[in-house]
Amino acid sequence: MGKKSILALVLAGCLAGLSLAGCSSKGNSSDVGNDSSNTPEGKTKLKAIIVKHSLTKDVTQMKWLAEIEEKANVEIEWQQISADWDQKKSALFASGEIPDLLFNATSNSDFVQFNGLFEDLGPLIEKDAPNIQKMFSEHPELKTLATQIDGKLYGTPRYKGIWPGSTASMFINKTWLDNLGLQVPTTWDELETVLLAFRDGDPNQNGDKTDEIPMDFNPIGWDFTPKLLLGSLGLPLSNGASDGYFTEGAQVKNFYVDERFKTLMQFLQKLYSQNLISKEVVTQDYSKYQSVARGNGTTAKVGFTWGWETGDRFGNELKDQYVTLPQLKQHADSTNELYWSNDYYYQNYGSNAVSVSARSKNKEAAMRFIDAFYEPVVSLQVLFGGMNDTDKGIKDNGDGTYAILPPADASLDPGSWKWTNSFADNGPMYIADALKDKVMLGSDMQNVLKEKAVYDELLNKADEKSNVYPQNFMKYSTEDTNTLAMNQANVNNITDQKWANWLTTKVDIEKEWAAYVASVNSSGLEQNLQIRQKAYDEYLSTLK
Amino acid sequence: MKPAQTTVPHQTLRGNGWLRKQAGHYQLWLMVLPAVIYIAIFCYGPMYGIQLAFREFDFSKGLTGGEWAGLKYFEQYFNSPMFWPTLRNTFIIAFFSILLGFPMPILLALVVNSIRSNRRKRILQTTVYMPYFISTVVLVALLQIMLSPTTGLIDGFLKALHLIPADTNLIGDPGAFVPVYVISAIWQACGWNSIIFIAALSSVDAQQYDAARIDGANRWQTVWHVEIPAILPTIIILLIMNMGSILSVGFEKTFLMQNSLNKPVSEVISTYVFNVGVKSNQFSFGSAVGLFNTLINFTFLMLANALAKKTSKISLM
Repeated sequence: MGKKSILALVLAGCLAGLSLAGCSSKGNSSDVGNDSSNTPEGKTKLKAIIVKHSLTKDVTQMKWLAEIEEKANVEIEWQQISADWDQKKSALFASGEIPDLLFNATSNSDFVQFNGLFEDLGPLIEKDAPNIQKMFSEHPELKTLATQIDGKLYGTPRYKGIWPGSTASMFINKTWLDNLGLQVPTTWDELETVLLAFRDGDPNQNGDKTDEIPMDFNPIGWDFTPKLLLGSLGLPLSNGASDGYFTEGAQVKNFYVDERFKTLMQFLQKLYSQNLISKEVVTQDYSKYQSVARGNGTTAKVGFTWGWETGDRFGNELKDQYVTLPQLKQHADSTNELYWSNDYYYQNYGSNAVSVSARSKNKEAAMRFIDAFYEPVVSLQVLFGGMNDTDKGIKDNGDGTYAILPPADASLDPGSWKWTNSFADNGPMYIADALKDKVMLGSDMQNVLKEKAVYDELLNKADEKSNVYPQNFMKYSTEDTNTLAMNQANVNNITDQKWANWLTTKVDIEKEWAAYVASVNSSGLEQNLQIRQKAYDEYLSTLK
Repeated sequence: MKPAQTTVPHQTLRGNGWLRKQAGHYQLWLMVLPAVIYIAIFCYGPMYGIQLAFREFDFSKGLTGGEWAGLKYFEQYFNSPMFWPTLRNTFIIAFFSILLGFPMPILLALVVNSIRSNRRKRILQTTVYMPYFISTVVLVALLQIMLSPTTGLIDGFLKALHLIPADTNLIGDPGAFVPVYVISAIWQACGWNSIIFIAALSSVDAQQYDAARIDGANRWQTVWHVEIPAILPTIIILLIMNMGSILSVGFEKTFLMQNSLNKPVSEVISTYVFNVGVKSNQFSFGSAVGLFNTLINFTFLMLANALAKKTSKISLM
């Protein structure tokens, strides 16, 4: 080959590379706006991203969704995400090129960080969204929830109102207790005795004394953990207490530096050292946590644990062995006020169900589509599945009442079916209070409400104005958001490793406590508490 | 006129002497061109982003639009309670990875090279390099299963032989994190990394072996006096290159292996950058910490290079 032809080849290669690069950048820019955005039938074309549960099926197969797309005269091109959104979104948002609609994909801190990327929906709602307006007039607190510190509304909220006031329940294996001739424990001391009996006896009666796990839970920071036992010590948890924050007497506090947390950790350390707690309690992931409690077939393996509902936690085979345990007292003669975590806001109110790109060319159409979700009967379908023969989620009784259908797929429990079949709790929805009594819930939800009834009395103690802390409702400025995030990363670094270390070793917690509290405070917790207190006071002033 | 042209521009040509000389090898330059373009676009191009470390990130103005913040974010990192722990953890993991991980492929190469039967050699080589193709996610999942304190195969084996105490949790224990990390890395990459040394060994002149044998050298003496000197340049160059990445401790694996129990030793600079920078949207802070990490890598690379140059006259540049 001559020199010239080699040169020509190389140049051609470079040109091809350049033209490819050109193509791809062109491809990207067409994502932003949607100029030629009408289909031949005159529908408006929109792009949407949805962050859905990993169980949730392809949303384009949901008939109820196709129906409201039809009704709103739009055609949606869905991009569906079911894992690692936290990690993907920074990159996507920072690129500035986001789809028209973002379902369940944004948080308040995004609006601060990516100022200008999202549309203020306030004016659009006033103009084009009768269902959302109705929701705001019936529940003004939802508007408060959705409105940011700058008075703008970048994401529409969601409201269910039919979910129980607590996320977690405490379960104990009644069959095991009966087999060993024991009573249901009512205090920490009795619990310890019971757990020891679980360890030493053979309560599941399979001839193997070593396969029982007396107690199992999730890492402290998550749901379904012994942090709920802080309620035994008079500490009022609320709304999941994420990162340990709670309020008591209208003061924002953090349980990680509370004396009562020390007491709890000492108790747990004692249980762990006696081999009463699963050895994998810190290192297992949620799916393992779930599968262990479901035992093998008909033999239960876990004696005492936390979870959402017995069917969900132990599976259909074993669920009848377990009962819900009311909050325990610390000792028989303890006089602490008892509490159970009040999660009503956390369970029933959600913020940022849908956001709209500020650069979308068809905001009116987008708003029309969003509003369609908030029509109460549609919302019901968003939550439980479609009211038609394809989706088989809800039955319309014809007299204004509705029944949630059992799973069409017999291998699934009702909870899994719901998450598979529709947007479920991740969707935008407004279940009007007027509709609540007209819906016959599925067996799982009926069971949830029944099981959690033991906590009703304690939940009613929660005082909206002093010991309920709905973190979702708090609003922070850009600077505060950044400070909170940075400090929290440092604080979590200490608390996260410390509780695990205390639990699994025999170190003297009493001795380490003061130094630990000092280091957490100086890592930024004190500053975060001040910032949060300011926002909480602001919030309290909006309550009537 | 002609003679004048060759003599008169002599002075002016001196400046262009290098260029002129290279022009004679333009084929070589053409061959390297695609690589140069690639590196320019994908390695040097994105470097304008490092100014983010010195700016307040403002989304609406893009990467280069925010206000200058000077060294604010560096100071924030140096003053943060996580500075020493992350630095120390990164160093410890990197140090043991190199100390134990670097010589293993060389030993393996020497072993493979001494096997006479070609068939056995190939089987051994294939077996040891296969794990390299397991993805990190799968590898860590394998570790979680094999080392689980209740059902883990390896865990049970080690405990049955009393090699580790019965109450050890290999995936949680802070003391076990570094050994598990390093040993699994060696298992995974040793075979693959040995390929280059095997290649270097195959180029040893057969006459040298013969000469050694005639001189009465035994197997060990052959290794020491013939084979090691033969691959020494390769060893040094690879060591220098490894030093350059001493602190870029594999993010993926560390992050996946991390849990509340081992966090005191597993929070390294790269996971910290991820936790603060990406997850909490503190992009400027993240860039500053990342840049700091790169600076240290660079220092190590230059030090190792200078050292190698001084002691053995072998170096990258």
